[in-house]
Amino acid sequence: MFEDPLVLARLQFALTAATHYMFVALTLGLAPYILGTQLLAVLRGDRSRMLSVRFWGGLYLVNYGMGVLSGLVMELQLALNWSGLHEMFGYTFAAPLAIETMTAFFVESTFLGLWIFGWDRMGRWAHLFCFVVVTVTAYSSAWWVLVSNGFLRHPVGFEMVDGVAHMTDPVALMANPAAVLAFLHVTSGAMLVGALVVAAVGAYHLLRGNDPHGIFRRGMRYSALVMTVMPFVVVSFGGAQFQIFGQDPPTSGLTYSAEEIQAIEDAGRSAFVTAANAAGDIVMMSAWGVMFFLGPIMLVAQYGGLLNPRRWFPNLLPSWFRPGRWGLAVLLFSPFLPYLASIGGWVYRETNRQPWVVVHHLTTADAVTPMAPGAALVSFTLFTAAFAVLAAVTYWLLVRFARRGPEGGPLAERREEESPETAAPVHTF
Amino acid sequence: MELLSTTLLSAALLALFVVGYLVLAGSDIGLGMLLPHVARTPGERRRVVSAIAPYFLASEVWLVAAVGVLAGLFPVLEHHVVGGLWPVLVALAAGWLVRDAGLWFRARVDRRRWRSACDTAIVAGSWTLAVSWGLVLTGLVGGGLSPDPFTVLGTASVVSLFALRGAAFGAERLVGPTEAESADAAARATRPLARLALGATVATLFAAVVLGGPVPADAVIAAVLVAVLLAALAATSGLTGPMLSRHTSALAIAVPGLLVALSAQLPTAEVPGVTGAFVWAMLAPAVPVMLLGQVWLYRMTRRPAATPTFFA
Repeated sequence: MFEDPLVLARLQFALTAATHYMFVALTLGLAPYILGTQLLAVLRGDRSRMLSVRFWGGLYLVNYGMGVLSGLVMELQLALNWSGLHEMFGYTFAAPLAIETMTAFFVESTFLGLWIFGWDRMGRWAHLFCFVVVTVTAYSSAWWVLVSNGFLRHPVGFEMVDGVAHMTDPVALMANPAAVLAFLHVTSGAMLVGALVVAAVGAYHLLRGNDPHGIFRRGMRYSALVMTVMPFVVVSFGGAQFQIFGQDPPTSGLTYSAEEIQAIEDAGRSAFVTAANAAGDIVMMSAWGVMFFLGPIMLVAQYGGLLNPRRWFPNLLPSWFRPGRWGLAVLLFSPFLPYLASIGGWVYRETNRQPWVVVHHLTTADAVTPMAPGAALVSFTLFTAAFAVLAAVTYWLLVRFARRGPEGGPLAERREEESPETAAPVHTF
Repeated sequence: MELLSTTLLSAALLALFVVGYLVLAGSDIGLGMLLPHVARTPGERRRVVSAIAPYFLASEVWLVAAVGVLAGLFPVLEHHVVGGLWPVLVALAAGWLVRDAGLWFRARVDRRRWRSACDTAIVAGSWTLAVSWGLVLTGLVGGGLSPDPFTVLGTASVVSLFALRGAAFGAERLVGPTEAESADAAARATRPLARLALGATVATLFAAVVLGGPVPADAVIAAVLVAVLLAALAATSGLTGPMLSRHTSALAIAVPGLLVALSAQLPTAEVPGVTGAFVWAMLAPAVPVMLLGQVWLYRMTRRPAATPTFFA
């Protein structure tokens, strides 16, 4: 199986994209929360909220670093390993990606640099403005990438000129239901990731009674609210996408006739892909099913006090009966749910269009760059090993900083006495 | 008006991103290459990395944008580049990954061995990037990769241009209120590096003209560009080298990029009207924000931060 460059290229891209998305989801999920907190901190001159911005901002940056690393490799890999796709659909599929690199990522990375280095060098409104730009460009980045991805699923707005797709209708490209619905589904799903990471970190510190600035209590409230509202949004835009499933794209027939398409699809069935597709669907649906109940339970626990029966029967219950703490302990592991749902969802979406890379126009086998098997194997091994190491280190760092709390984060304010120069004794005669 | 076609404008944009990347990222890649030479103590290393850190964030985006333009507006050219240079581009991606991982991870763990591992990643990644760029640029000018004298000497020339750019950048940015040892070491390195680059460039020229190297698409432009490169390097080789180096090194490292853009034999194809109009319509409103961010960041971080920040 591993002698085939096509299999290696597909597996490599699947692993790169899945790793990339894990970190992107947290970026998209945390950005609005940090932005909201910083806005309140600036408006009220609230020091404890600014501490919260430093804490979550530190985790955001550690996570963002890996998002960038995997994103860079993904962009280069798309160009290196999938030249057939670019040859035929460069002017349509890759044009939104070109816009993304320039108008979104270019600006995002620069303004994130300004935000990091501007803590003590610019005014608080200018500093807030930098993070507004970071949030807006993070979301517009997701938008343009999904315009490209939606095009693969549901190719619209082009004509074929000598075997190359030429864009005819950019509005159709951007209004593509496969892109618009996916954007709303993916970003609302990312909000779940952000909310449950906030909840899990909060639960860890609340269980230890370590919340001097109220950072984690406020985080819990945010999380409960998001987890109550957002699952409905996620499922609405997810479910709405089923209308496109099994539907022929409007451009069907421009490249292959209906009979040829049927023949390619019959020949391209693979038991492995069908199984992966079904598994993705099941994982996504069951993780989402559990998350659906989390938000209301968190709300009731926080505001109804229903999970604190001691309030009503103060002397009746044994001391070990503390459902509130059990709830927090469960929340510690809750971030696995939205991550599982996201990865399952992506596997479901992407395997669904096989054997096509661009539905009814280009097969995955025709899109891959002709490579020597040895070269493909070297590239696969190199990047898969590097990614495994980098993702593991980033995960370890994220957990480490999350556990340390606001005092030990990468953006935490440094105290004066920490510098060795001032600690040295001064000799006087 | 017809002269200012979308294709021409887009080609100029692509060239701008590549040359901009070489000039800007040349600084932080070059300084990364020279890290063991200019910084001996842990404190000096921290200062060097904190001089690199704000820059790599704002300069690598130029290359990302270049790849985006290449894929979206010039797929034929992209096919040519990827087809001819696949192994080198994989090495470039690997070097980029290793170097950035070193920069992102360095300040995360307060242990000596962790930091020295990250410093190794930064140095090794920077060298891999410079050598890969040498091979990419010579491969594009020479019309393919082959183990001939032109490719070897051209690569050596580009690598020394990166190092020179890094030395000039270090001489300017490592100056601090109390210590300037690294800045002095970087300033002293500019002259020998400029001489090395000059020698390598002359040898490359010899290989191209006498030993039968590539034929430029436009000989006049190629000659003018090479003359500019030689003049910039000659100026930096002399007594006033360190003083002028921040301008001459920028000019020098821009030349290989311009040579590829203006005089290499590359396949061209007209950008289809709708795609060109679409990309430019979306790009135009973002240009002021892109410029604002770049200029603001470069001006704000003219001096390395005195206290540790996120990166170092």
